[in-house]
Amino acid sequence: MYTAARRALRGTALLASLALLTGCLSIKAYVDPALPIVTKADVSAPAAPKPVQLAFEFRTNGAANASASSQIRPRVATVAAESGLFSTVSAEPVEGGAVLTIVIDNVSDTGDAAAKGFGTGLTLGAVGSMVTDGYVATATYEQGERRLEASAKHAIHTTIGNKAGPEGLTPVTLQQGVEQVMDQLSWNLLKQLDDKQAFE
Amino acid sequence: MRQARLLLAPALAAVLAACAHTPAPAYQPGVDNLRALRAGPATPLAVGDFDAGPKVGDERLGGLRGSSMSGAEDGLFSTYLQRALEAELRQAGRLDPEADLRLEGTLVRNQLSANSGSTGYANVAARFVLRRGEDVVLDKEIAARAEWESSFMGALAIPAGMQGYVSAVQKLAGALFADPDFQAATR
Repeated sequence: MYTAARRALRGTALLASLALLTGCLSIKAYVDPALPIVTKADVSAPAAPKPVQLAFEFRTNGAANASASSQIRPRVATVAAESGLFSTVSAEPVEGGAVLTIVIDNVSDTGDAAAKGFGTGLTLGAVGSMVTDGYVATATYEQGERRLEASAKHAIHTTIGNKAGPEGLTPVTLQQGVEQVMDQLSWNLLKQLDDKQAFE
Repeated sequence: MRQARLLLAPALAAVLAACAHTPAPAYQPGVDNLRALRAGPATPLAVGDFDAGPKVGDERLGGLRGSSMSGAEDGLFSTYLQRALEAELRQAGRLDPEADLRLEGTLVRNQLSANSGSTGYANVAARFVLRRGEDVVLDKEIAARAEWESSFMGALAIPAGMQGYVSAVQKLAGALFADPDFQAATR
């Protein structure tokens, strides 16, 4: 389970205990609907898929986040493997030298969120908060002299306490939200590269 | 993720006041370092012994609000750097334990501070020695610094500090790979 989600669940347990004493407090995540949903049916596998080396890095506000990288990398590798675009997906160099590099950067305005969190914590959820985590993803596919790029953006809106979520969106757990966003960013990046015939 | 953590921190802060000693996060090779290694000469490298200078804290890093961090599987940060370089070279397909070129090193600076409520930093430096057989073809000290946004809340500042240290080691590896003398010596 992802560290962030684990922390969220730990926090939830603590807050639930507090809620028994004085009130109620809930955490809900909402996946932003702007990014198109891409599935395997939307990419066209090449007739002879080639092996690829996957290099993945998760960043927080531009700085490498080793723990998140190790936790999320298997998820990104699973999407790449399930896409059918490659014969194998490896962490180490492959025959033919193809490299797929994916970077996902979690960008946020930390100061504002901390202030909101304090307000929610002090009132045990009576005054709720909502913050948005943005994710900027870039992919590069290199084979020999060929180099193609793709990019996508996504977001998770999180509410804590007595705060309505974005209209029309279904709440999920924070872990589910993170998983959906990582998967959808990966699928969108692969589709963009596929549309550019990167893997032919 | 980060924003949601910040919302939870006020509640967590109340129960996370105790001091702790934990190992450094597992090192992850960087994509920028992979690019630098792929852009340079494809010469394979072996990674030899790494140790620490006499005044360098090799076993324990403080600067984490009363908590501390240890290095690799043996607890040493010099080994952590050694493993980091191995991981980077392995990802780039350039690690070969039998290679004629052997990279060794001494950790000469190893600092971490997550004590400020605004900015955290880590400074790492190493003297790298590259040997071709018995001949020394490179002997150079290289340093790197990472800075990150810290927090007045320890529940956020401590994990950010630990990640920041890994980022500094990643930058040190990148600075070595991009160094013109290193590139010339590995041709």
